[in-house]
Amino acid sequence: MGVDAELLFYALQTGLLLGGFYAAVSVGITISFGMLDIVNIAHPAFIILGAFVAYYLNSTFGIDPLLSLVIAAAPAFLLGRLLYKMYYYAFERHGEESLQGLAFFFGILFIVEIGLILLFGVDYRFVEAPYISTTFNFWYVSLPLRLVIPLVVGLLMVTAIQLFTSRTFLGRAILAVSQDPGALRLVGGNPVKIKEIAFGVSIASAVIAGPLLIIIQPVEPSIGRDYIGRVFAICVLGGMSSLRGTVVASMIVGIAEAVTATFGGPAWAPAVAFSLLILTLLLRPEGMFQR
Amino acid sequence: MGEAVTQSAPVLRALQVTKRFDGFVALDAVDFSLREGERVGLIGPNGSGKSTFVNSLTGVFPIDHGSVLFNGTDITRLTAWQRARLGLARSFQLPRPFKSQSVRQNIEIPLMFAVGQTNPDRIAAEAEAILLQVGLGAQSRASPKSLTQVELRKLELGRALAAKPRVLFADESMAGLSDTEVDEVLEVLMKLNAEGISIVLIEHIMRTVVRFSERIVVLVAGKKIADGDPREVMSHPEVERAYLGQ
Repeated sequence: MGVDAELLFYALQTGLLLGGFYAAVSVGITISFGMLDIVNIAHPAFIILGAFVAYYLNSTFGIDPLLSLVIAAAPAFLLGRLLYKMYYYAFERHGEESLQGLAFFFGILFIVEIGLILLFGVDYRFVEAPYISTTFNFWYVSLPLRLVIPLVVGLLMVTAIQLFTSRTFLGRAILAVSQDPGALRLVGGNPVKIKEIAFGVSIASAVIAGPLLIIIQPVEPSIGRDYIGRVFAICVLGGMSSLRGTVVASMIVGIAEAVTATFGGPAWAPAVAFSLLILTLLLRPEGMFQR
Repeated sequence: MGEAVTQSAPVLRALQVTKRFDGFVALDAVDFSLREGERVGLIGPNGSGKSTFVNSLTGVFPIDHGSVLFNGTDITRLTAWQRARLGLARSFQLPRPFKSQSVRQNIEIPLMFAVGQTNPDRIAAEAEAILLQVGLGAQSRASPKSLTQVELRKLELGRALAAKPRVLFADESMAGLSDTEVDEVLEVLMKLNAEGISIVLIEHIMRTVVRFSERIVVLVAGKKIADGDPREVMSHPEVERAYLGQ
């Protein structure tokens, strides 16, 4: 029993640390899917793209993954804007975004994945940084920096996006477009431009989460598929468009996965997110938080 | 004032505006003009095409035939947000505030986008002034969720006003309100009109429309059947038969 309690404590600790990383991974889907109604199923592919950018910069130039995160942000934002333009002109403008748009992002997912396989192969890649193998221990608390740093960066990312959406006019326009694009249009706002910027932020957040992922674990190009269910489950559980909800839901999924992996075996962990998604849709389809 | 209005040039014109939905003709070659500072009532039975007409003029959806001129410039192909920036504003039949933002923040959005202001202090000050103008000064920091129906209608008007319009379509701004509340909203509309904004009032309450309008336009089954002095229009036999005599 004593051993079980100790295991549970470690599972909770790992789950919380992992939850912070999941917040970084999911905040972009909260923007694209929760706020903009864009089912960007390719979101995890951009996380992996970010991870490989960090790998390339680290292995070629010795650049720290945390610095590569800063370097990749602006190009990723522009890439996101370009993708939204393509999506808008090809599908959304004609009202054909639901099925064809989904197929479009499926295509993007595979293009990114195959592109990475062609460039880097199918082997697992990792980065080197002094903090990756460092762990601080206090009493029973064990804090590996490879999990603490993603937690801190993840929470900073969500806080920054929260401040952006609540304190700036552009951010508030994103909230407005998520609620009623028609009304925004009639008070002079161009929803297409605003959605383009918001989607840029969404993709930038995914690419930024990539270096955090490769700090936590080695990556290979197809690993992003593991995150598809997870990010959508977190978005729905958190209330679709609530940033606060995204953080809480990330923590819940992180803890649930860690507890499941500890007591039921790691093989069960991937099923946790889907189970939570189904439970949420059955019991509280509006999620835990509503903006 | 009536004299001056009569002589001013049309700020908005609709020529042969036609809109079909899957073969159903919602608007059938409707001509319309609105002069600077004019107050016009747009009436018609349910389904007559009033809201479709407003949506067509404000660019919510494209028209199938005809053209829309604003200050003599053809704006038929412009989007809704481009028309809003030119000075075409509307309030909604059912209030549609941005619920996640405060009352003042709702007013700030058009100030930023339609008017193009960028200074946050100036935007905030102007939003407060508009809220005072529409009688919502005390609710500035409140959430739209806490507003009463009449306050929501005023917020709609305030938001439309913040876009610095030259033309305002007030779409059933008084539906479901008590007599006192109708008077409050009417007072706001008269104040806006006194500042030179041309107003088209789409309304079911006939007493209010007659009281407010200098001219009344009647739509029935997508066609304009009358356009003129309120008293003359109300006694028009076709209007009585199609609308008032029901």
